[in-house]
Amino acid sequence: MSTAPPQTPLDAWVAAVPQPQRTGLRILRALAKRPGGVRLLHRLAPADQLAYGITAMEHFEDPANAAALGWDAAAVAARGRALRREEGRP
Amino acid sequence: MSRLRKPRRIEADVCIVGAGAGGAVAAAELAEGGKRVVVLEQGPRHDADRFSARPMEMMARLYRDGGQGMTLGSPPILLPLGRGLGGTTLVNSGTCFRTPPQVLERWQREFGLEQLTPEALAPCFQRVEEALSVGEVTPELAGRNAAVARRGAEALGWSHGYLKRNAKGCVGSGVCAFGCPTSAKQHTGITYVPRAEAAGAQIVTGADVRGILVERDCAQGVEARLAGGGRLEVRAADVIVAAGTIHTPLLLARSGLGRASGQLGRNLALHPATGVFALMDEVVDMAKGVPQSFYVDEFAAEGIIFEGVAGPPSYVAMSLPLSGKRHAEAMGRYPNLAMFGLMVSDSSRGSVRSLGGRPLIRYDLGDEDLGRFRTGLMRMEELFRAAGAREVYLPLPTGVRPADAGVRDLKLMAFHPLGTARADARPDHGVVDGDLALHGVHGVHVADGSVVPSSLGVNPQLTIMALATRLAYSLLGREVPGATTEEEIPCPS
Repeated sequence: MSTAPPQTPLDAWVAAVPQPQRTGLRILRALAKRPGGVRLLHRLAPADQLAYGITAMEHFEDPANAAALGWDAAAVAARGRALRREEGRP
Repeated sequence: MSRLRKPRRIEADVCIVGAGAGGAVAAAELAEGGKRVVVLEQGPRHDADRFSARPMEMMARLYRDGGQGMTLGSPPILLPLGRGLGGTTLVNSGTCFRTPPQVLERWQREFGLEQLTPEALAPCFQRVEEALSVGEVTPELAGRNAAVARRGAEALGWSHGYLKRNAKGCVGSGVCAFGCPTSAKQHTGITYVPRAEAAGAQIVTGADVRGILVERDCAQGVEARLAGGGRLEVRAADVIVAAGTIHTPLLLARSGLGRASGQLGRNLALHPATGVFALMDEVVDMAKGVPQSFYVDEFAAEGIIFEGVAGPPSYVAMSLPLSGKRHAEAMGRYPNLAMFGLMVSDSSRGSVRSLGGRPLIRYDLGDEDLGRFRTGLMRMEELFRAAGAREVYLPLPTGVRPADAGVRDLKLMAFHPLGTARADARPDHGVVDGDLALHGVHGVHVADGSVVPSSLGVNPQLTIMALATRLAYSLLGREVPGATTEEEIPCPS
């Protein structure tokens, strides 16, 4: 049995991205996790925004963090399923 | 995934490559008209039960390359494309515009497309609009994000309105671009594809078409590789290529077709776009309602259109043009954030070619389009200020004002790629003729955004669908229902 940790939504998304962006995203993620990397990113404005955006996107993809801002993805999806069943939508 | 069990070879009247805006429409019309139709789609069939309303997860699943396809050039531009039955109609905002009459006039004048008049296309548009339940968004469904933009436009006296969309029973889930969980958005994967299947068309997903078979300048069919292994050959006297503006020229080129004009893969037009955020005093809750429900077209004649855009927190977190503490503070006030999109009808042109089997897209933003972005960003800021914004976050580096922005300062995405196998009546100027038939080859047709010979200035899905409808009826040898004959068109007095 594999002991590998389950793939996170961010991992799955990065895996879907083509090279060379995939490598770029992995480097940005790694830099954003280290104090020295963060200092380096601050000197590169576009990369800084991108790295921060990716980290924040992962944070708010988490249902608990999104719920704190009023977004309940599970409820939106469940309402969709219920409506489709009720009205015979595809 | 639907898969043909045995046959390596299928006989059909028409083989269609791609099940997006063009291919699915042509498939349904042809199958219902009595033709034996096979559709080969590279992507999968998506199940709405798995639409989670979580942007990152859905981007990986519904978009080609996770939505991170990109142009090479100055600046690099993200070019997201859908993947699967429905193509990009699966993930677009559902906005529906007919081709503007002035664009059709230009096509007649510059490209000799005299048959594509507003009168000739009207029954095609009407047929598509009925099939997709196209209607205007109501203010209630549009939500408070649209209300902010409307308030600004009204204060400034700018022309505006609610958009028409292909939606039925929409409840404003706010995630059109990440898989509609209610199946309210009438994308071609749940409208035209089922119609085609009901009329007997075979839909093969996971089919990577490698070449179009031609003998003595006549179409013979196509050959494809299947996702699970094996090859499939479809023999058909008519082939419709509808793989999309980026992939159609690659398929034609590797089939040795469409090169005579020198235009294949060239003339790539885009709608480069960007998003502007505003911090409001009021609660906006931008993801509650239809994200793209409202437009401001005051500057359309200058090639600048504002259209709504919005999304859940994770989408906003990725798009917000801030970092560090300012980003965190703005996200903390997500319920008060409003967002709107700026789209440019470009005069820049790019190209697409194959590099190692993948598309290499070149596109440099020209000075005219840079000017449109500068102007558009200034006016967008004005719009939000007029609506009462406390702060406006422009997609520019800190300290750069719109008037001083350079190409490299812009943070762009692009939508609606068009033109890489453009239609032109003259074989030495275009890849297909006005009837979407490949110049110089009998039986090969193109029905996707690649044939559209100029930027439209509006979302193109209806244009592509109307052209596909016209092509289908032409192959059936019939008039499009509701078509008015030439004698019946009232003459202008």
